[in-house]
Amino acid sequence: MKRNGFLIGALSGLSVVGSADHFFARALAQTPLGASDDRVLVIVNFQGGNDGLNTVVPYGLPTYYKYRPTLGIAPNDVLRLDATVGLNPALAPLKKMYDAGRVAIVQGVGYPNPDLSHFRSTEIWQTSAPTTYASTGWLGRYLDGAGLPPENLFNAVALADVLPEVLVARTVDVPAIAQLNGYGLASDRRGGVGRDEFHAFAQDAAVPFRSPYLAHVAEIEDHAQRGAEELPQLVAGYTAQATYPATPLGRSLALAAQIVGTKLGTRVLYVQHGSFDTHTTQKATQDRLLAEFAEATAAFYTDLAAHGNDRRVVMATFSEFGRRVAENASRGTDHGTASPLFVIGGAVKGGLYGTQPSLDDLEAGNVKFGTDFRSVYAALIENWLERPSAPIVGGTYTPVPLFA
Amino acid sequence: MSAALASDSTSYRPTGALDLATALEPYAGPWSARQAAHLARRAGFGGSPADVAHLTAAGMHAAVDGYVRFADASALPSSPAGLLEDRRRPALMPPGGDLVAFRKQIAQAHRADSIALEQWFLDRMIASPAQLQEKMTLFWHGHFTSAYQKGIPAQALVDQNNLFRANALGNIHDLTLAVSQDPAMLRYLDNAQNVKAHPNENYARELMELFTLGIGNYTETDVRESARSFTGWNLDRDFRFVDRPGQHDDGTKTFLGRTGNFTGRDIVAIIFAQPAASRLFADRLLNFFVYSDPEPELVEAVAAQLRANGFVLAPVMATLLRSNVFYSERAYRALVKSPVQFVVGSCQLFGVAASDATMLGALSRMGQRLFYPPDVKGWDGGAAWLNSQTLIARENFASGLMGKMSDGGWLGNAVHTMDPPQVARAVTDTILQGDVSPAAANRLVAYLGGSGEAALGALSGENADERIRGAAYLTMAMPAYQLA
Repeated sequence: MKRNGFLIGALSGLSVVGSADHFFARALAQTPLGASDDRVLVIVNFQGGNDGLNTVVPYGLPTYYKYRPTLGIAPNDVLRLDATVGLNPALAPLKKMYDAGRVAIVQGVGYPNPDLSHFRSTEIWQTSAPTTYASTGWLGRYLDGAGLPPENLFNAVALADVLPEVLVARTVDVPAIAQLNGYGLASDRRGGVGRDEFHAFAQDAAVPFRSPYLAHVAEIEDHAQRGAEELPQLVAGYTAQATYPATPLGRSLALAAQIVGTKLGTRVLYVQHGSFDTHTTQKATQDRLLAEFAEATAAFYTDLAAHGNDRRVVMATFSEFGRRVAENASRGTDHGTASPLFVIGGAVKGGLYGTQPSLDDLEAGNVKFGTDFRSVYAALIENWLERPSAPIVGGTYTPVPLFA
Repeated sequence: MSAALASDSTSYRPTGALDLATALEPYAGPWSARQAAHLARRAGFGGSPADVAHLTAAGMHAAVDGYVRFADASALPSSPAGLLEDRRRPALMPPGGDLVAFRKQIAQAHRADSIALEQWFLDRMIASPAQLQEKMTLFWHGHFTSAYQKGIPAQALVDQNNLFRANALGNIHDLTLAVSQDPAMLRYLDNAQNVKAHPNENYARELMELFTLGIGNYTETDVRESARSFTGWNLDRDFRFVDRPGQHDDGTKTFLGRTGNFTGRDIVAIIFAQPAASRLFADRLLNFFVYSDPEPELVEAVAAQLRANGFVLAPVMATLLRSNVFYSERAYRALVKSPVQFVVGSCQLFGVAASDATMLGALSRMGQRLFYPPDVKGWDGGAAWLNSQTLIARENFASGLMGKMSDGGWLGNAVHTMDPPQVARAVTDTILQGDVSPAAANRLVAYLGGSGEAALGALSGENADERIRGAAYLTMAMPAYQLA
């Protein structure tokens, strides 16, 4: 029997790109994006808890080697940043960017009364709410208040299977798209159902009942269908000018560059990387993940720069926690607390921020944080996305001066 | 909470006015498949076409009785078969064992047990003759949350789930006390670590904030004093509740205005003497069973019923499921189906007798994994169930389910006619009790008759089965099918 699938592959007759009356094309023609209007924030989640001490290595602190008899990275192997700390050698491509002044490293980032559960601590970082349970993410709250055009489906995009809590908003529906060809309805349609036909049914709103949720369902339905079909078409005209590593993160950042380069009005992108939960034989796993991160990030910024977009995009990493100072008996590390994070981009004032936490003043075997993560969020919101940060991060925090 | 977070106050309360005077009086209006299916979606998960026909024939009072008086479900397994994890986790590694291999083995057991847990509960929801008991168990699972994490053995979550089941419509005060001594909860909210020398406030705080009173009805001092009262309610080496007098703080505590040498039992009793407790449960029940963001007056009316019944839920639920407000147009399809209800209800509708493992992935993509609530406050529900990704996951689940249907037997005799309007009517009546627009009904007739977008040719014995599944898929894609 004839199957009229309506997945992307079956859409060859549908022309979206190049259509002058398309919403995005119209918007771009009418309002050239101003300097502060086309800024993008890319959040990279180092899932699982990245070991900060073997990322930004305190090679100048003798105690480090006492606590890390097998995992310690030798002083001569460290890519030195100053007399105390240096980068894990797996981060060599990132060190080049650091030397070019495009990488800010904030040390000892955490929050009071740290929670050592992956689950709860991830939620704390994503909602920016360490002492309560918030139902929106901090970037979701940014989206709710930013006044972005509501008809644009791609104000923010999560490059993930499931919408992360950081992008859960009250009024904005953020699509979660793990990869272009995997987003959308299953290809095997039932009984030769046509594409427009399906849409018409799924939009059935003139129903014989009232429901306070009916408009909401219809709106989400519209977003889901348009998002699945339009995004691949929209970004198809972009050609990458860098070779991305063939890793999940490489693919995610390649898609991120496409979305940025297509100028869809996207302000926030979310990418994930991991898992860093290295309880056993940490070195191989962490080195691989850090190398993948550095290589993919270098390719990303090479690609962005080739398209003149590198100053439009700031990338910020986070991980739910660092790891225990002392390595465990399995050549791994257990859950810990504060750790460093990276803020990267052409507009970033590179260098070291905050202080390396003391290894001689621990709390239950964990370092004490020096910089509250909300001060980093405040910088990203106030100085990059240019919105008041207090209602978004949940209080008044002095922004870390990450931008020139 | 230290600082206010920005939010808006989107409310999904139905439009129109509440008639408070008659809201909880017994409903005496029309009773047809429309009302019967509404009851089946709320008190259960939707049921089969035969279930709806049975409820329609029974009339409202008998139909509600059938839910509130639980049918015998003892034939269903009370525990998943073949759990791998030792109740004492982490089990000891055999001497001389390989630590890495041992950890891998534990992780594999955890994954296998996770699947067994989820399917066990799903299968009970699909097949139990006591549908309201399972619906209430799901309600309590989202209320007194514990997750399959933090080293909690799977069997402890089975036990907790059975505690909810055994107290599904029982005394909420008793259930709260039992939850306070439940091993999975003791670990999940850290009361297992709450001892005299080092009080841990986690359980004491969430007990009031999320489980019974709500923010604003207690102080930080109350949190500290109740945490002291719960000291010594810990776990033994076999992951069972133990009351350790030596770890209990015997000093005087002052809690919610009362002073004494309180234990956890006293704390729960004092909490249930607060009017705020009855209002919190009334609010949660109305949001789960009737409509979102209920009026404070309605909440208070249900709270008064809870107090009058000594927090025994069965008579209160019976009143609610018979009430005018429950059958009002304002409550009709006024809730978003949870992913679990979407999956369980679809299985019941199409006669799928048991879950399969693919449903677990689908549920995860829809945003609800059983035994993995997103945090201690449970699933937000309502509008939060739906975003682009979760809605597509629902549609893909519907497509997959239709792919597995071997025939249109669920449609009964209608499948034997080749008359498109008759078949279309049977499909939309069976799935949505006719809750479709005239335009959609016409489009469905056109699709079935082969004159829709895809121009498929006339309906015939050869293509009827495939075509009817397509029609069912289209009907499940309609917004009404997302609504309970």
